[in-house]
Parts: sequence; C-alpha cells; structure tokens
Amino acid sequence: MGDRDSPDYKILVVDDEPDLERLVRQRMRRHIRGGKYGFEFAGNGVEALQVLAEKQDIDIVLSDINMPKMDGLTLLQQIPEVNADIRSVIVSAYGDMENIRTAMNRGAFDFVTKPIDFTDLEVTIERTLRHLDEWRAALASRDKLVAIQNELDVATKIQQSILPDTFPRLDGCEVYGCMHAARNVGGDFFDVINLDGGRVGLAVADVSDKGVPAALFMMSSRTLLKGAAIGVEEPSTVLREVNDLLNETNEAAMFVTVFYGVYDPATRVLTYSNGGHNPPLVVHSDGTSEELELTGGLALGAIPGFEYGQANVRLNPGDLVVFFTDGVTEAINMSSEEFGLESLRGLFRDGRTPGAREAAEAILQAVQDFAGEAPQFDDLTCMTLRVADE
Amino acid sequence: MNVQMENHEGVLVARVEGRVDSSNSQDFERQLQGAIGDEVKAVVMDLGQLAYISSAGLRVVLLIAKTLGQRNVSISLCALSDPVQSVFEISGFNRIIQIYDTQADALAAAG
Repeated sequence: MGDRDSPDYKILVVDDEPDLERLVRQRMRRHIRGGKYGFEFAGNGVEALQVLAEKQDIDIVLSDINMPKMDGLTLLQQIPEVNADIRSVIVSAYGDMENIRTAMNRGAFDFVTKPIDFTDLEVTIERTLRHLDEWRAALASRDKLVAIQNELDVATKIQQSILPDTFPRLDGCEVYGCMHAARNVGGDFFDVINLDGGRVGLAVADVSDKGVPAALFMMSSRTLLKGAAIGVEEPSTVLREVNDLLNETNEAAMFVTVFYGVYDPATRVLTYSNGGHNPPLVVHSDGTSEELELTGGLALGAIPGFEYGQANVRLNPGDLVVFFTDGVTEAINMSSEEFGLESLRGLFRDGRTPGAREAAEAILQAVQDFAGEAPQFDDLTCMTLRVADE
Repeated sequence: MNVQMENHEGVLVARVEGRVDSSNSQDFERQLQGAIGDEVKAVVMDLGQLAYISSAGLRVVLLIAKTLGQRNVSISLCALSDPVQSVFEISGFNRIIQIYDTQADALAAAG
C-alpha cells in the first residue's frame, strides 16, 4: 500500500459543483487514508487540462458534462492528446441520450448517473481500475511480443475486469451472473444496469472471434450498451443505437449477439429486444419452461441502420429466467455430444425454482461436469433473474 | 473442415464440409478469399455438408459478404441443414444474406 504522498491510483474529479469535493473526500475517506485513491479536483474542462498537464500520473477522469469555460464533452476530446492512458467516466443526467451518445463516441469508458450514488461510483471506479491494470499488462505483453496464448490470457483478464461482481439488491426479484472463460476466449459478457423507477437492465452478449481484438470490441460494446441503456427507454432503440455506433468503425466485420431486456419488478414485465442472441429460457415453478420468442433481430455490428424488434412478457411469481450464451448449450463431452437445451431444461424439472445465484452456479457446474476433460472452445456465461415468490 | 471450389460459368460454388469454429475460421477465410478472383460474377456457398458453424465462422461469411457487396458481387447460401439454418435464423444473418433451398435454385438466381 502506498503512503499518503503517492496513492496507488489517482482520480481527477471535474465538476463545477463546489460541494462535490467535500462530499467525495468524506465518502471516499477510507480509501484516501488507506493510500489507495488520491483525488485531484477541477471546476471545469480548462482547469482539468491544466491539472492533467502538470500531473502525468492521473489514472481516471470523472467528469460532469455541463460546466462553464469547457464542458465535459470537449474535455473528453482533449484528454487523449494529453495522456492516452487515461480512462474517463462520465457523470450524466438520466436519459440524456444526446450527450451520452456524444460521450460514447468520444471514448468515455463508463457512466454514472446523477445524483451520484457513491456505492455505485465506487463499484464503477474499482472496475475501471481493474480494467486499467489489465490494459497496461496487455500493452506490456504486446511490447514484448509474447506468444499467442499469453495474448489470450490477457484478453481473458480484460474480459473478467469488465464483468459485474456485485449485483443490485432489488425489491421483488434477484439477479445473478457468472462466467467460466474458455482458454480460447470467445468474448462473452453480461451486464446488470440500474435504471430509474426500480427497473433493471439485463444484457448478455457474445462477441464473434477471440483474442485481444475481440476483447476490445467487447469492451466498447459493453460501454456503448450501458450508455444507451441509461439514455433511452425502449430496448429495441438501445440495440439500434449500439448497432449504428459499432458499425462506424468495424473493418474486421466483428459482431456481437446481444439479448437486452428491461425488467420492472413492480409490474413483473420483461421488455426485451434480441440482437441475434440465443433466446433465454423462462422456467416456471412447476418445472415447465419455454424459450423467449425471437424479435426479428440481427447480431450487432453486422450492418448499420437495422431496425430491431421488441417484445414483452409478464413473468409469474417464482419464475426463473436463464440468460446464457451458446457456450452452455453447445458444450461438448468426450463423445462429442452437445449439452443441449433439453439438459438445461432438465435441471429445473423438479418444481420450485432455485434462487438466482444457486441456479446460475448449478448450470455452470452441470455443464462442466458434462464436458469432463473434453477441451472447451467457448466461454460459459449464465445470468439469472428470479422473480420472488408470492 | 474442408472447402471444395467449383466454377459454374463464372459463378464460384464453395462447398463447405464438416465443422467451422474458432480453431479453423482463419483457414476458412484464407481459402475463400484465395478462391474469389476479380472475374467471379457471383458466389454460392453450398452448406449441405456443413455440420456446425460457430460465430467465428459466421464472421467469415459476413466479411466475405461485405467485401463482395462493395464490388457489387452477389453472395448466397444454399442447402442448409436444420441446425445450421437455425444458427442463421437466431443470429439474424438470414435477413441480410440470401438463402436458397437447393444449389440449383441458388445458381438459377445467380445466373
């Protein structure tokens, strides 16, 4: 642990609200005293650039959008000129899609919404720092021209560093997600996004291809999806936005299949749009189950201007929704047999669905038991939504 | 994975057999790119003997379709088995790449 003069990580907070400095110092005092975080403060973009020019060791910029002299969006554009190794987290008003879109285009790494929830902010900072560590390791290993396997290890770490490891406590439902990365990284990710009105955004995705380029494509897909999710209401519009942005630079014809849904615990309605992803499974408390209907979508990144469809389903108390990637159902055993959808359904035939975490972990365990020693070429990702019993 | 190339009066027919996944998708891409010369009028991929295609394989199909699209050369797929058809339907690629039941149908449309 570092001493007070040299914290492990330095964060520049840019906001014209003078009370924010006091609030941040108070809420983050444990980390400041422990030598983990050091904070610098600036009141606008111009001051921020001065701080960045003087101090080369800033890791994260946390910036508001609307500020005098130079706003946060202009600042975002300038940051790479001063220091390309910085990650920016933008503080935006909920639903401010126009600014969020611009921020996404200008390379924002993540978003938090106003009013700032400090628990959420801490999780976001931690995740960004974990990502930065992996990113720096990736750059170092590229410099050394290490073997392809190391590159894949680096890609796995980048992948792990962007996944949520804490899940929001919600009224009326539980959410959990976990992933088992294959040696041969496929590029899965999932995300759980807090939305207003107690709703939650749930995303599960699978990037075509492997290695560091796929990991980077996955990273931008995740950021774009989160930005769009807090900016617009309809899941179909979220996917259209992300698809168009991904298509702006994509010579390698990479694509990502995304299932994105918004669940409202108050109405138990899941509204979703499926962008070319394998359909999630809804398991009822009597052991029956069905797949969520496709919505006429297309994998994201394939072609610009695509219009996505949308559907909704009202869940029942005790229902379990299993969102997964095809690594689960296409896992093969030593006899080259696939695990398959029927085996997945079979795990829950006994009636009364388990809790979200128990279900997700049971699925990954069952797939790994089935696969045994057979080499797996795809990540296993499983996210679950369990509606509370009546 | 094995790809057989045939030329039907300027239409390149690529017959793909076996499994295409991330372990051989680069090879798959190289073979296709190598076979598609400037004189090719259209490309038909016959997937009748294709048992499995992963997303890495789909990316190659998309890349080829995009490259050909820029040159105004058409591409179509034909004779998909049920599991492969299902991969194209779920990913939505059946909405952006023409799929025919038989090679004859695909050739008739390409000619």
